[in-house]
Formats: sequence, C-alpha cells, structure tokens
Amino acid sequence: MNCVVEISDVWKKFPMKRDRPGFKEFVVNLSRSIKSKENSNFWALKGVTFEVKQGECLGIIGRNGAGKSTLLSLILGTIYPTKGNIKISQKITPLLELGAGFHPDLTGRENIFINGVLLGLTKDEVLERMEEIIAFSEIGDFIDMPVRTYSSGMYLRIAFSVAIYTAPELFLIDEILSVGDEAFQKKSRDALLNLINGGVTTIFVSHQMSAIKEICHRVIWLDGGEIRGEGEPGRVIEMYLKA
Amino acid sequence: MEIGFIVNSREFRRKRDLLWLLTKKEVTLKYKRTFLGIFWSLLNPILLAFVLFIAFKIFMRIQMENYTFFLLAALFPWNWFSASITMSTGALIGNVNLIKKIRFPRHFLILSTILGQFVNFIFALPIIIGFSYFYGKGPGINWFLSIPILMAIQFIVTIGICLAISMVNAYFRDMEYIIGVVVSMLFWMTPIIYPLNIIPEAYRIYLVLNPLTYLITAWRDIFMSNATDWGNIGISFGSSLVFFLLGILIFRKLGRRLDEVI
Repeated sequence: MNCVVEISDVWKKFPMKRDRPGFKEFVVNLSRSIKSKENSNFWALKGVTFEVKQGECLGIIGRNGAGKSTLLSLILGTIYPTKGNIKISQKITPLLELGAGFHPDLTGRENIFINGVLLGLTKDEVLERMEEIIAFSEIGDFIDMPVRTYSSGMYLRIAFSVAIYTAPELFLIDEILSVGDEAFQKKSRDALLNLINGGVTTIFVSHQMSAIKEICHRVIWLDGGEIRGEGEPGRVIEMYLKA
Repeated sequence: MEIGFIVNSREFRRKRDLLWLLTKKEVTLKYKRTFLGIFWSLLNPILLAFVLFIAFKIFMRIQMENYTFFLLAALFPWNWFSASITMSTGALIGNVNLIKKIRFPRHFLILSTILGQFVNFIFALPIIIGFSYFYGKGPGINWFLSIPILMAIQFIVTIGICLAISMVNAYFRDMEYIIGVVVSMLFWMTPIIYPLNIIPEAYRIYLVLNPLTYLITAWRDIFMSNATDWGNIGISFGSSLVFFLLGILIFRKLGRRLDEVI
C-alpha cells in the first residue's frame, strides 16, 4: 500500500516570548533588555519521522505538551516545520476544533455553508448534503436561528455533522469523541468508525486509551517532541502507561 | 482551452465559492443587528460631506460650484479605500481560530473585506449618477470604460496595502494605531476637499508617493465632467502596481511564521 502521509525528520521550534515588553518597560529595563537579546526557543518537535499508509488509522498518544497537537497542525498545513519534510497526498478534513470559524450571528444553515466550503466542499456539494447534515445533527427547526441561540451541545453537534459529511480522505481528529448527549455520542462514534472502517485514512490524537485501542491499527507515543514508542496499540499503550 | 480547464476545475470553483461566502458574510454581518442596515455605509460619507460642506463652503467660503457633488465624487471612493484599510488591519488577528484550525487561503480574509466594502461603493453609485444628472453632464458612454478601469486600479492598490498591514499587524500590534493616524492624515493629503490643481507645482512631484492622489482625481473627473485623463490614470496605475507587488511580497514573506505570533 502506498503512503499518504510522509513525515521525515520534522523539527518545530516556537520562540519563547513572554509578552513582549512595551516601550515603557523596555526603557526602564534598558540594560537588561539589550542583554537578553538571544531568544530562548521551545522545540515542540525534535526530529519526528513516520508515515501513514492509505486507509490506516494511526493513533497518537502522549502527555500534555508532548507535541501531539503541533504535529497535527503541521500535517494540516496551518503551521510550517522549522526543519524537515512533510508530504501529504490526500484531501484533509481536520476535526481539531469543532466549529472553528462558526459565527454566532449567522444561522446554523449559513454556518454549515461556510464551514463546509472551508473544509473542502464546493457550494453545490454542501447544498446536496444539506438535508443529510441537518438530519444527522438532529437540530430541527433551530437550523434557521442564529447560532448564538444554540446550546453548546447543539453547536457541537452541528459542527460535527458538517465535518463528517465533507467526504474526507484524510481525517485529523484531536480528542473529540464526546459530542452531545449519550445518544449522540454513540451516533457520532459509529459514524466515525464507519468512515474509518470504510478506508478513510485517519490520524487520531486522544487521551482515551480505550478508544485508541478500539479504533487504531497502529500507535505512536510522543514524549517531549520525540517518538518514544511505535507499533501495535496494546503494546505501546502498556509501555506508555507504565512510564 | 487551458483557461477553460482551470475555470471549470473543482478546486477553482471551491475557491470562488469560498470567496463569495466570506464576502457575503462580511456584507450581511456588518449591519446585521442594526435598524438602518447597509444604509449606514451610505450615511457615513454623506454626513461627512454635509459637515465638510458647512465648514468649507459656508464658513470658509470656498469659491466652487457644486461643492457637495465635488465632495461626494471623491468621498465615496475614498470611503471604500479607507474602510477597507481600517477593517483589514484586524482581519488576520481577529480570525485566529480559523487560521490555526483550518487550512484555506489566508489572503481571502483580506480580499473579502475589500470586496465587502466594494459592495457598499456599488450601492453609492446611484447617488452619484443622480448628482451627475442634476449637477453634471449626466453619465456618458465613457463611464463604461473608465469606471471598470478605475475600480481595477483601486482594487490593486487597496489589496496591496491591506495585505501588508494586516500581516505586519500580527507581528507588531502598534500597526493598528499607526494606521488610524495615517489614514486620517492621508485624508487631508489627498485631493478630496480641494482640487489637485491648487497644490503648488513644487510639491506635486511628491504626490506620486500617495497612490490615491491621481486615482481620486480620476474618479472625480469621470463623475463630474465625463473626462478621462489617461495620464492621471497611468500614474495611478503605476503607483498602485508598486503597492500591490510590495504587499504580496510582505504577505508571503511574513506569512510563513504567522502561526507563531498570533
């Protein structure tokens, strides 16, 4: 099988800037300000290499601050690596944050349009799927109300529904299996599993080990920006939990 | 053949849809919960023209016929420009969520702001046509040639400047306040309330630095007297192109590290 994601020796650095001092502070601390010129950097990723095959579901685990989300953003392409190469050969649908780009004053329907197009559909394609999306979200008559009137559960449900109907080829998921109430959680989980089993390549970041074990074919354990373990889910999770 | 393929490709249609939706969002959201709605965009320059008329025509007694038309013919295009500048300053830093969580062409955020203001400008055209009938020569056939050209030039210069300042503002937040001052200075340094020809010869050479000088003059020429001065248009096109290219360069260069600063 061919690889759809190739990450080779990727490094990512963030400048560690405390809030830049304003002019007043700069003058007051003039002597110190000049000396501390050399910026301290934070390396979020230190030479990560791996690949993901067509149709595979890869899980990424690790503690907070291990670099998981940075890695997803790099694959998505919203940030650039400091060093190294990233090759992606499929259309990405990110589920990093549900409802990013929703506007509270627009109606549910209008937000579905904008979000759907942002996530990679054309307007006509959104229109074709509109009824399905609305039906899946179980939002009912609220669909033509401004999103600001929604409960947070409704908001997430509609955002999830758009994402799942964008015909993803490569799914990036960051810890979002718990959407809405019990019933909707099951429904959204089934829908995701359906996609994954249907051959959609998936990269899944989570702290829920049971979900990882259930869904993923392979797991990468990130620690301090480096890969500490890689392979069969049960084994890697055990290593991670012991550490 | 080649172009037909590009226009019909799915990716092209998607981008076009995206730009259309973002612009629509820009236009509908701006005045969504207000009573007068989009008419605010007309009221702004009209009220400004009214005040300027009182100050300069009545108090200062400027000798000029049709001073209201003279003001409005420049104020509507100016308003398109200045509102685009002011609003796009925050276009990137105001959409952190979108930029960090979804991949899409970031310059669309700026383009849609400018297009949104362009729609306001279109809404103002009937007023100008009305004035032209009553106080000018009436719209002539050359409007159909000159107006699209002037629109294109104004798009080019506005896009260039807006791209640059929206990006610089992400790195250097003082930009927002600098822009506030610069825009109001530019208002007085551009022939809006006075005609180009009262500026002393010795200073005219510096006016090229202000891309709006000849553009605003060209707008007024066409609206008030159906005149098209290709020299003026050429100069404004030249300086607009410089701003356009510079803007794109800055936007590209700084764009790679945008995620680290917003």
